[in-house]
Order: sequence, then C-alpha cells, then structure tokens
Amino acid sequence: MLTTEKPKEPIYYGWYVCAAALFIGFVAVGARNCFGVFVVPMSDEFGWNRFTISVAAALGVMVNGLSQPFFGQIFDRTGGRKLILISIVVLGSATAMLALTFHILFLAFMFGLVVSMAQSGSGPSNTAALMARWFKRRRATAISINSSAVSMGGMIMVPFSMFLLQATNWRVAWLVLGIIVLSSLPIAYLFIRERPEDRGLYPDGDLAPLDDPGSATRRGPSGPLEVDTWKQSFRTAPIWQMAGSYFVCGTTTFVMSVHFIPFAIEERGISGATAATIFGYMMFVNIFGALGAGVLSDKLGGTKNWLAFAYAMRGIGYAVLLTVDSILGLWIFASIAGFSWVATPVLTSSLTADVYGTKALGTISGITFMFHQFGGFGSVLLAGLLFDITGSYTLPFALVGALLLPASISAFSIKERKYSSRYQTRVPTPAAGD
Amino acid sequence: MASIFNFILAHQGDAADPELLHWIRERLDQIFGTGPWVVVAIMGFIILSIPAFIIVVYLMQAKRRAVIAPLNQDGQERKRIR
Repeated sequence: MLTTEKPKEPIYYGWYVCAAALFIGFVAVGARNCFGVFVVPMSDEFGWNRFTISVAAALGVMVNGLSQPFFGQIFDRTGGRKLILISIVVLGSATAMLALTFHILFLAFMFGLVVSMAQSGSGPSNTAALMARWFKRRRATAISINSSAVSMGGMIMVPFSMFLLQATNWRVAWLVLGIIVLSSLPIAYLFIRERPEDRGLYPDGDLAPLDDPGSATRRGPSGPLEVDTWKQSFRTAPIWQMAGSYFVCGTTTFVMSVHFIPFAIEERGISGATAATIFGYMMFVNIFGALGAGVLSDKLGGTKNWLAFAYAMRGIGYAVLLTVDSILGLWIFASIAGFSWVATPVLTSSLTADVYGTKALGTISGITFMFHQFGGFGSVLLAGLLFDITGSYTLPFALVGALLLPASISAFSIKERKYSSRYQTRVPTPAAGD
Repeated sequence: MASIFNFILAHQGDAADPELLHWIRERLDQIFGTGPWVVVAIMGFIILSIPAFIIVVYLMQAKRRAVIAPLNQDGQERKRIR
C-alpha cells in the first residue's frame, strides 16, 4: 500500500562515512603524535641521544609531506576505499611492530618510512577528499568534523599512551597503540564507501541534484575550472592563491607548535605549567574553530572570505603576542589563533573541492598539503636560526606573522563566485524542437 | 645540525610537548587520583566506544532505512511502502 504520510528520514549514509573517517583520523594521527612520549624511554634503553632519535622523526615529517601527493593520486585513481583499508592495516601493523625496535635503523625505517607513508594514505587530506564526494551543501561542515579528528587524536591518544607507558613499558605501549589503530579497520570496512552513487544516493542525501540558481548553497552544475587531472589545475590562479596562503598557514602554526612554550617561559616570564596550560587551551579551542568555520561557510557562503578572515585574525593574534608584553597577550593570542588553527585547512579543502571538483581532489589536496608542510618545516628552522642569532623570538615571530597579511589578501582575492561550483547556474537544456 | 632535527622532533610531538605532557598528567592525576591503569581503562573505553557508538546508531536506524524505498531509476521520486 502506498502512502503519502511523511516518513521519518534515516540518517544520511554520508554521516556514517564521516564518523568512520573521524575515528580513522583520530587513531591514525593520534598514534603518530604519540611519538614524543616514547623519546625518553627508548633513548634511555638504547643509549640514543636526542639527535639520533630525531632523525627518525625528521624522516617521518618529510616522508609524510612528500608522499601525500602520490597517495592522493592513488586515492583519485582507485576511489580510495582500498587505499584507506590497506593503509590502516599497514599503519596498525607497523605501529605494533615498533614494539620490536632493536636498532635506530629499524625505528627510522618503521616509523620514518612505513608509518609515515601509511598515514598519508589514510590521513585527513584523503579523507577530506572523500567527504567532498559525499557532501556538497554541507561539505565544509563534514570536512570540519573530519579535521577535528587531528585535535581529538592529540588530546586523547597522547595522554592515553602516556599513562599506558607509565603502567607498562614502551614495547607494550606501542603494541597497544597498533591494536587501537587496527580497531578502526572494521568500522572502515563497514562504512567507508567511495561515493554516494555506490549506495544509490546523491550528495547530502538529496533526492536529486537540484538547480538553485544564484543561491549560496552548493547544488547543481560544476564550476568552470573543474579538472580531470591535477596538472590542469596548475594552469589556473586559485590553486596558487590557495597553496600560497596554505604555505603561510604551515609557517605560522608549526613555528608556534615548537617555539610557543619556550617563548612564553623565556620572554614573558611565566612558568612552564602556565605556558602548557595556555598551549593546551589553544589546542582545545581549535576544535571549535574548525567546526565553526565549517558550519559558517556552509550556512552563509563566501568560503574565501572566511578563509581570509581566519588568516587576518591569526595575524592580529601575532600582533597582540608581540606587542602585549604580559601573560594577557599570551591568552589573547591563544584565543584568537586557536580559533583559526584548524579552520584554515577546513576552508582550503572545501574551497579546493568547490573550484576543482572531486575527480583529482586527492592529488590537488596532497600538493597543497605539501606546500603547508614545506612552510612549516622552513619556519621552524628559520625561527631557531634567528633565535640563535638575536637571542629572541621577536624577529622570527614578526616575520612569519607579517606573512599572514599577504596570505589573507591572497585568499580574499580568489574569484570564488566565478569559479566555485557553489555559485554556478545551470544553463537550461533546450527542449526538443526549440 | 643536531638543532635542526631537534626542532623537527619538537614539532613531531607537538601535542606531546614535555611541559604540556607533565601538565596533562598532573591534571589527570588530580582528577582520578589513582594509578595509571584506571586512566588507561577509562581512556581506552572512551576510544573504543566511538566505533561501537557508530555501529549502534547504524543498527538502530535499520528500521527507518528499510521503509524507505530506493530511488527510482531517474532519481526524481521516492515513495514509501508499508
């Protein structure tokens, strides 16, 4: 019997994909962030100095950044499901095998190469591209939920591994972390699907793609710059505008991750515990910043404006940090910069998908991520070098902070209305006989 | 050269900055006030409850999904069948 009674709609399947991706990112990024916890006990047992173990970590950062475009390409070509599943198996197994570490070369190979490459396969860059396929109108929101996994991983997995280490030893702790990573395999196998069409659905759970001309919602036709291969995107301006500002994003976040606490202690005269409290607060606030940016972008439109705003706010945060010579300046910086910390990757990923479509999104996102990592890598070295020369963080912080102005302008100058699929109108197909 | 790698290591463990870790441990010790196993058990439960929660919600929604007929071939219309 057919009825017109309005049924209770089930939750759109894309949200399960989003939740599964969140958990995968949570354990994958979390397990990797735990490396710092293991430095002291492993160094003590094997007699390594800090430099020796740093080589493995440094290799990991470089491999992760450089391999992302390649894994992005595999993601685009294969659809992603197999890549994510295989990456989880490799990541979990390699993490567990770190329990067998007997030599620095084993650690460098297993962590620096295998773990870091596997993390590129199942990392937030690829899962954000997956979200972009499942969502159009709520794309930024879904990507923001996915991206918050990075913060959650650090907040929960790191203390967990710390206490696990205290309760057992580093070998057992690596083994347990590997098992936790592998625990995301069933959820990935059950819920990760490559695109909504695989389940007879449309993005966002819509009944059909609708025309909504001039609306600030993402429906209907694709944008004029939609590409089939990543190479095509390199001939257009938005990719360089986004990659340029993303480079500055990496520059301004990495430098703070490394140098904020020393700066707060040595140049603002506060205790290590207070500095850590402020930094922890900043990491906590960034979850809300990411989610807020996603929701605002989806509800109000103007993704590039929010992106420019996030960079400008971070720039103001840097200015406050350098000019307010007290603990108040640190708190204000943490509040402002914290909100923009993960907001920029969310908005960049969302805008990239809106402009270039989803066919080559994994590769394009991987390339912009690589710029982000290069920026971060360079800024950390530059800040260390300038600190050694000047004895202060003022100059390096001022230099990287100043880059936020051109980054903001670069983001603001993206012609989103012209290029984003969100603002395109469908040209009516002439009826037969017209 | 060593300092270069030290910087990278420091970033690598950005969430695991020693000062921050010490602070987190102190706060958690204050909250739970017991041995590390209690914290491990609680946090482990939180971590593993996430996938369990996703599966439970999915199973609870099975009924709703069952009454929604799949999209028509052209994807334009959807009817509910009782």
